[in-house]
Amino acid sequence: MSEAGQGAALAPAKDERVKEISGLRRALIRPELGAIVGTIAVFVFFIAFAADSGMFNAQGILNWSTVSAQFMIIAVGACMLMIAGEFDLSVGSMIGFAGMSIALISVTLQWPVWIAILLTFVLCVAVGALNGVIVVRTGLPSFIVTLAFLFILRGFTIFFPQLIERQTIIGGISDAAEGDWLAPVFGGKILGFVFDWLAEMEMIAVFERGTRAGEPIVDGIPMLIVWALALVAVAHVILTRTQFGNWVFAAGGDAQAARYVGVPVNRVKILMFMFTAFCACVFATCQVMEFGSAGADRGLLKEFEAIIAVVIGGALLTGGYGSVIGAALGALIFGVVQQGLFFAGVESSLFRVFLGVILLFAVILNTYIRRIITGER
Amino acid sequence: MNAFWKTMAATAVAASALMGATVAQAEGERYVLVSHAPDSDSWWNTIKNGLALAGEQMGVTVEYRNPPTGDLADMARIIEQAAASGPDGIITTLADPDVLSGPIRAAVDSGIDVIIINSGTPDQAREVGALMYVGQPEYDAGYAAGLRAAGDGVGSFLCVNHYISSPSSTERCQGFADGLGVDLGNQMIDSGQDPSEIQNRVMAYLNANPDTDAVLTLGPTSADPTILALEEMGLAGDIYFGTFDLGENIVQGIRDGVIQWGIDQQPYLQAYLPIIVMANYHRFGVLPGNNINSGPGFVTADGLEMVEQFAGEYR
Amino acid sequence: MSGFDHDPIVEMRGIEKHFGPVIALNGVSFDIRPGECHCLLGDNGAGKSTFIKTMSGVHKPTRGEILFEGRPMSFDSPRDAMEAGIATVYQDLAMIPLMSVTRNFWMGREPIRRVGPFKFMDFKTANAVTMEEMRKMGINLRSPDQAVGTLSGGERQTVAIARAVHFGAKVLILDEPTSALGVRQTANVLATIDKVRKTGIGIVFITHNVRHALAVGDRFTVLNRGRTLGTAQRGQITPEELQDLMAGGQEMVELEGSLGGTV
Repeated sequence: MSEAGQGAALAPAKDERVKEISGLRRALIRPELGAIVGTIAVFVFFIAFAADSGMFNAQGILNWSTVSAQFMIIAVGACMLMIAGEFDLSVGSMIGFAGMSIALISVTLQWPVWIAILLTFVLCVAVGALNGVIVVRTGLPSFIVTLAFLFILRGFTIFFPQLIERQTIIGGISDAAEGDWLAPVFGGKILGFVFDWLAEMEMIAVFERGTRAGEPIVDGIPMLIVWALALVAVAHVILTRTQFGNWVFAAGGDAQAARYVGVPVNRVKILMFMFTAFCACVFATCQVMEFGSAGADRGLLKEFEAIIAVVIGGALLTGGYGSVIGAALGALIFGVVQQGLFFAGVESSLFRVFLGVILLFAVILNTYIRRIITGER
Repeated sequence: MNAFWKTMAATAVAASALMGATVAQAEGERYVLVSHAPDSDSWWNTIKNGLALAGEQMGVTVEYRNPPTGDLADMARIIEQAAASGPDGIITTLADPDVLSGPIRAAVDSGIDVIIINSGTPDQAREVGALMYVGQPEYDAGYAAGLRAAGDGVGSFLCVNHYISSPSSTERCQGFADGLGVDLGNQMIDSGQDPSEIQNRVMAYLNANPDTDAVLTLGPTSADPTILALEEMGLAGDIYFGTFDLGENIVQGIRDGVIQWGIDQQPYLQAYLPIIVMANYHRFGVLPGNNINSGPGFVTADGLEMVEQFAGEYR
Repeated sequence: MSGFDHDPIVEMRGIEKHFGPVIALNGVSFDIRPGECHCLLGDNGAGKSTFIKTMSGVHKPTRGEILFEGRPMSFDSPRDAMEAGIATVYQDLAMIPLMSVTRNFWMGREPIRRVGPFKFMDFKTANAVTMEEMRKMGINLRSPDQAVGTLSGGERQTVAIARAVHFGAKVLILDEPTSALGVRQTANVLATIDKVRKTGIGIVFITHNVRHALAVGDRFTVLNRGRTLGTAQRGQITPEELQDLMAGGQEMVELEGSLGGTV
């Protein structure tokens, strides 16, 4: 695991029964391996085939970074939960649900946007906790329980706006969010001055016409990306450096064994369901604040995209093993490939083919790594 | 590990071969059409064909992009990405102005010409700075259909909405209701996209509301299963049936007398004309002075020949 | 060192455990003193598992009493028993193969290092202690990051034992620790038991292998059909007699030859 190297100073005496494993091979045995290799391969591929297509100018980079960051936000939650041994298939529906909740509270009820955001977070995390409690109490597979919530949440997401507003897309959130203190935390941009300066130096493109003529096309880093990086960093530290992280591994590795030694497995799992819901809610809030509207079909199939990113990142579907950094790289691969195939001029329907192939490779590689780790033959 | 690398290399080679094949060889301008339709929506084939044909005739490179699941937020990213790739023009639908107007306006402001097609209104198109709007105003089309149905003695109806999350779908139903002069109320059902589900929901609704005068479907996705539902219930030809858009089964239905009329928004024109207009604009600086209404046109049993011949392809 | 000059740490008197109509334990008396290895022998189905679970707090006895350091005790959960100093190493080890030795060793009791308001797991200490404890047991780990899955069965047993010892167990219950091991690994585990006993910890060694029991045991108690058939001191009983007791008095003639050369 990632605390590699700390024990090196102890230099244990050699045991003649332990076969020496080469340093290289040992360095390879880590969950992120597949994702690191994949990331390099993907970038080499696109630099070779799409370097002059605009993919690597400021606008292009922002485009695939934003898409990757979206995947990252939900992948972090899915990763922690999968390591703890559970799935959440309701992530996509939760995204639609959270967005709609913000829209209904802020636009229909006319409440301040910050209250809408906070209430929605409370609501989502509570639904996450409910997911977790049901899974833990009934012992049912989380696959089934969260599949139920996939439908329940999506149903409400279509039902309520239709009932209240007679439509399934609710706009006008941008106007409602005007001057709100919390909205820019999700929908704003930072470091704008850097891009102004870059534009002045003529290093990035500027708008040629319209009301914003002369301003840089890329005018800041979206908070979405900041959230993604912050969530990855925090989750990685928690997972690898804290007691709680150890419990997450233990809960997913072998719940019974963890209970024997007093790890509060149920609490850990419920907390991870809540964290996944939190991530979905961050995703939804960023999206709603950026676009100014909530739609009933937002987030469709996002749960699978999150799980795919996590698996590409080296986590085992059976739990107990994985890495947040790997999941983040998986999300990066996902985003870069999805947007990059277009820059490279590949028919976009082939994206699914590529996705299937890379997923298969990732799973095969992961199985191979696990065999090395557990010494299975 | 060796096997892994070999396969990886093979995949890369295969992928690059595919790319060579799909990058169009034309020398001219490059235009990207972005739709809001999920992959499963077959109606957009006509658009793709019109796009390809116009590209061929004008000698320009054309590309078609859509969000695989129909998620409009994904579509916004696609427009941003299309803009980043620096095409000469973008042709896009305006399914939700809140989500899409930002990316579209950014594209316009960075020097890319945009034409709005299909969804949206002429006003919205002007607001985002597009050159023009090519399409069929949905509410107006629904209203016209409602007036026609009212003239035929229809007083109640079922609207089979297979794309409930798109406001324009709801507008069609609302327009139809207003044309009839009745309240939409519960006469619109969310049918989903699955054919057998649509069929069963239509049957369930008609069983529960046997005094329904008419059925309105919003495209082949909902019309085809509805035809099957009516046939199974023995109502085919008996109940008043109108639909938006055309497709092979719809054309057959019109000929068989199951469907009274189809509203043709002539999507072929929505892809074909913008390319012609843009290419001419970019080459000679000429631009039509107004928006282009591609529809509505009512297709009835009279004059089906051309429609039949090209249904699903160009009609 | 012998434990007979000490009072028992745990004493169980006339324990009965009923599961509905099934009488799993029907009068078991057993005690364990510091620094001794008390072997509990019994054939499959004799009630060994139920007995362990009663002693480690999983089950409450239907009748009978448990004295812990002379006082009557009633454990509500395995956690209570563990806090009091009764550690159990289960047959399936309760180790997680995908996790590193250190993570397994400290699972549930991770050492904490504070940095400002944040609490981190102190891997430096954790790794050092793990290596040291394992070295004491005679196992040199390649690295504390090594996954438990790469260890042999005997080594995994040793990690589990070392963990219990490090966390201050007074009584260590070992559930069939040698049943799935080869000859050499068995010898290593038996040697480990001997080392632990010498530190003053009382060991309850559950097995159905008479030779393994005789190799390290100070006292021997045989369990048969939910009852204890009595306790014998080392040297007071022959392998043949033990084997017969376990089998419920049946003659085990055909095995005697092979038991003659017991360790």
